[in-house]
Amino acid sequence: MPTPTYTPLATVTLGASASSVTFSSIPATYRDLILITSGQSLTNAVDALVVRLNSDTGSNYSFVFMEGTGSGSGNSSSGTTTYIPAGITGTAQTDNLIQIMDYSATDKHTTTISRGNHAGNRTRAIAGRWANTSAVNTIRLFTEAGTNFTSGSTFSLYGVIA
Amino acid sequence: MTMTLIETKTLGAAAASLEFTSIPQDGTDLLIKASLRHDGSNATGIYISFNGNILNFSAIYINALSPNTPTSAPLARYIGSSTDDVTANVFSSTEIYIPNYSGSGNKSYSTENVTENNAVGAYQNLVAGLWSNTSPITSFSLATTSNNWRAGSTISLYKITKGSDGIVTTS
Repeated sequence: MPTPTYTPLATVTLGASASSVTFSSIPATYRDLILITSGQSLTNAVDALVVRLNSDTGSNYSFVFMEGTGSGSGNSSSGTTTYIPAGITGTAQTDNLIQIMDYSATDKHTTTISRGNHAGNRTRAIAGRWANTSAVNTIRLFTEAGTNFTSGSTFSLYGVIA
Repeated sequence: MTMTLIETKTLGAAAASLEFTSIPQDGTDLLIKASLRHDGSNATGIYISFNGNILNFSAIYINALSPNTPTSAPLARYIGSSTDDVTANVFSSTEIYIPNYSGSGNKSYSTENVTENNAVGAYQNLVAGLWSNTSPITSFSLATTSNNWRAGSTISLYKITKGSDGIVTTS
């Protein structure tokens, strides 16, 4: 019998539009976390889906991404943000795959790798870092512009055992 | 274990497409891993179809071909590049992730893909795709525009199911 390696921790399907989704009380019993989102947000054709860890609102996050927009490629980075822009959302169907590596370790900063997908606008690959050695126990997702996620959007969190 | 292998197929002889049908509808997401090689002399695109449909697809890719600057373009149904016959025994590698494949919304998907050979023309692709159709995905196929898949090409289909551990809370 193989060892289970991909455990569902929680899923949210929004029954009404909401400005954020928060996963909390995440147990430190896995090696990595995987977050899958599928849905839309209001108002802006494209917006960043951002992640904040353990409610830390300080400028303790950094990221670098590359992207293709269908007409060209681009990149961006910052070492002093208050969240990780870990994905893409907008007024059309989008999906995001976010991996949070070694999230329960307390001897290293937390790093993320993720993909953001908006087939009508762009695809993006992002690396992120939270400059903190605490174990991650809370993840909050929201949009960079502060718009709401639409009703029906889904957010699923999985734990991965090494 | 919620990431469950549904089936693996390995071609024993060349074929124009690789297909899965009768996909069970009791999962939340699908993950496809493919190791593909075709019988042409140049890398070529891999194209996906769902439920026998080739219409109402849209996609944007970003593509790296060292040492050139990455390029990006829209290309419907494209999910990446397949390795050609230039270098023996080399296959391209592809992952396709499809969230909410059995849901009632339009179906988006995310792909990552690499090819390799001992000459020029090794690609890396990231693709955002959308099938603007609300039907549950019950089958899919992967094909090129004009070549056959070589024997030894392999494709595996996994389903991933959502759930709760009873500990993590959401708001």
